[in-house]
Amino acid sequence: MDLTFFKTRRFRVGISVIIALAALLITTGQYRRIRFSKDMVLTVGVFSDNYWGIQNGHANKIIDNAILRFQHEHPDVKVEYESGIMKADYSEWLSEQMMNDTMPDVFFILGGDFSTFAQIGALKDLDNLIKRDPFFDPSAYYKTAYDSGSYAGRQYALPYECAPNMMFVNKTILDREHIAMPARDWTWNDFYEICRKVTKDTEGTGIINQFGTCNYTWNDAFDANGVSLFDEKGRSCDFTVREVGDAIAFLEKLEGLNSGYSVSERDFSQGNVVFQPMLFSEYRAYKSQELSIKKYSDFEWECVTMPAGPSGDNYSRLDTLSIAMSEETSNQEMAWEFMKLLTQDQAIQAEIFDYSDGISVLPSVTQSEETIKQIAEDTGTAFNLDILESAMEKTIIQPRFRGYDNALEEVGIAVRSILDSKSNIQMEQIIWNRTLNNFLKSMQSQNS
Amino acid sequence: MVEKVAPVRRDFDRMDQIPEMVFRVLQMFNFLIILYITLISSHALWGYVHEGTALEFLLRAGRVPPINWIIPIAGLLFFGCLEILLSVECNNHPELVCKLTLEFLVAIGISYVTGFGYTGMVVLLLADIMRYTIDWKKRALYILAVSAFSLLINGNVLQKWIDVIPLDIVWSYYRADHLLRFLGILNILDLINIYVFIFYMVILALSQMSEKERILVLNNELKEANIKLEEYASESARMAETRERNRLAREIHDTLGHSLTGIITGIEACIMLMDIAPEATKEQLRAIAEVARTGIIDVRHSVKALHADALESMDIEDALHKLVDSTTRSTGVEISMNITTDLSHFNQDEGDVIYRVVQESITNAIRHGKATKINISIDRIDGELHIIISDNGVGCSDVKSGFGLHHMKERLDMLGGHLEYTGNLGFTIHAVIPIRWGNEN
Repeated sequence: MDLTFFKTRRFRVGISVIIALAALLITTGQYRRIRFSKDMVLTVGVFSDNYWGIQNGHANKIIDNAILRFQHEHPDVKVEYESGIMKADYSEWLSEQMMNDTMPDVFFILGGDFSTFAQIGALKDLDNLIKRDPFFDPSAYYKTAYDSGSYAGRQYALPYECAPNMMFVNKTILDREHIAMPARDWTWNDFYEICRKVTKDTEGTGIINQFGTCNYTWNDAFDANGVSLFDEKGRSCDFTVREVGDAIAFLEKLEGLNSGYSVSERDFSQGNVVFQPMLFSEYRAYKSQELSIKKYSDFEWECVTMPAGPSGDNYSRLDTLSIAMSEETSNQEMAWEFMKLLTQDQAIQAEIFDYSDGISVLPSVTQSEETIKQIAEDTGTAFNLDILESAMEKTIIQPRFRGYDNALEEVGIAVRSILDSKSNIQMEQIIWNRTLNNFLKSMQSQNS
Repeated sequence: MVEKVAPVRRDFDRMDQIPEMVFRVLQMFNFLIILYITLISSHALWGYVHEGTALEFLLRAGRVPPINWIIPIAGLLFFGCLEILLSVECNNHPELVCKLTLEFLVAIGISYVTGFGYTGMVVLLLADIMRYTIDWKKRALYILAVSAFSLLINGNVLQKWIDVIPLDIVWSYYRADHLLRFLGILNILDLINIYVFIFYMVILALSQMSEKERILVLNNELKEANIKLEEYASESARMAETRERNRLAREIHDTLGHSLTGIITGIEACIMLMDIAPEATKEQLRAIAEVARTGIIDVRHSVKALHADALESMDIEDALHKLVDSTTRSTGVEISMNITTDLSHFNQDEGDVIYRVVQESITNAIRHGKATKINISIDRIDGELHIIISDNGVGCSDVKSGFGLHHMKERLDMLGGHLEYTGNLGFTIHAVIPIRWGNEN
């Protein structure tokens, strides 16, 4: 055989270009797009316990039913998932799948993980799929729930199940102190007044043992007062605005009531605290018959909307469990269909009220007659859906960006520091504004 | 019209191979460094997953890394690609620019898999450019381009466009003391790489300098040789002239001298015989006429080709017999000749010499020795031809090396032979000629 061709320059340059392209394909992971056979196996990432942290034994029920439905509609597709992964390990498990290149096509994504995974580029940008699909209707979801899947202006996830933050009220204390249940549109003033009235030493030991609130954080206060700290891309924040100052002043006032005692959740469950913000899912779980004896059984309790700040409204945060698609998926169309089935199908969304503690992301499901009946049956009380409704209407979500979690942490440090320093809040705000903006700038330049 | 660059030289002698060897070492070294970095990175990535710190790593890294085993493989692929490109030789500037561009791209690939933690392969590109003999202006441009590229991949500029996890973040998997050790080794390897490159440059410069020197020396030698050659050529022309003049003189002496000697001797005999035996005298005169005619023919030949006479048309042995015969007839001298070896193998020049030696000896014996008997023997002894001519003449105790003997010697010298003679009992000449054909066989 004539080997001279293999020694020619043209051959050598050609072969080196081919090798370089191959190396590029495998390093960037693009080789996965080359599919030799059309294997129609859709993998799903799920965790086997309840998102809301309350075990009810129905772990994979909804997903199993959805898979049955999906395989019925698409007989050529096989849907698989790995069971036995706990919620606590789920984020790590997902990360490992990412690094091992075994990412499921579709996976649940915890509320706290969303911005991280969107930031590292693990999630597929759904905007094109949404635009292409005439049957997909974003307005079918609660707007806030839907927006919680957006990152830096693009949609990366669809909401599956959500729960608004609500204020839990110990009615026993209120009755004892002859205070009426707060109204749905109550304000910080009402909130503070009640807290001031109930904070006292009931046993005469000289130590305060009944408190107004616990776990009411700067985040809740900022939300209530309509503070929106960061701009869309997280390049700057305005920490000097009056709303921030008011919120911090209010927190200071609240904390002042407790004379330095740090009220914990334990105090609430022992029945010594009137207010604690909690997710609605917890209300559902502990109001249901089978779990009602486990927690908060020594007193009567109810939930209302969050109190409104002077510049805001009765806003509350929404915790959302979302579903996202892997950036590396090779079954994009089927994955999209499955995501739609899980999040937009009425029957499957209705199962959330059967097997989980959150609420459906579809208003049409949450507000249906059956749902109301179901919740009433579960909780054993005539549940006033209006409270849930008004809470859902006033849920808000902050824009997410690269390093959002780090930024929140920094703001927390700032607020804590101002509260502890006891000096002029406005001065401190100006000083911290500089620090926070520098932090954001350094973070954005690092990430870009 | 594209300007050519001289291709990389391949015809090295031993000295010139040293830069090439150092270049190989440099390539091998880079290979090892890339292997080192990618294997450690690969192990770190495997470790994150294995120890359940993948989420923490992803948070720090800010992007999903390639699967761990891909990193060394991609690194080796990119490096192999660079090696192939380095082996491609270019003939002109556009080709060289294309090649350099491809090499830049591959180098970016290598930097990518090493998390921009290693950029030392740039020296390979620089070393490769240096192998070409390009004029200094262009070379400076190439060096500038490579340096700019080096700054680009070192100065965090590319990271703006290429999303890559920095090496220190990948390696932060390791405990601080191990990390220090790994980074230390990497630094040392990097430094050695630079040193080897500097060594390469020095060696290359030295070898190019010594090459220039060698060319200079060779040039001078060539000039001298040329002058000598010119001198030699003119000398040679002069010598050829002299030799030709000598030959002419020899020819005249040999042919005319021989004939005239015969004629004089014959005429002297005729003078004495004329009154006693007019018939014999007549016969004698006829013989003399024959000698004179042969002489005139010889002269004609000499004039025509300045070349030997009887030899030309006949074989040496016949020519000798004819010579002896005609001499005997014209002078009455008794000549006996004994040839024991085959003379037909001798070349023209050797035959000439044999003939002239015999002819001259006979002439001398008759003219100077007044001999009446001449003995000639030609034998082959130990690869030499021995010619012995002895006569019974008066001899000569004090031999003046006359014209004839001198010429004979000259002719023999030219063939590598020699001549001896003695004039004690009559006169004996002993000529020796080495036999060329006999030695060959």
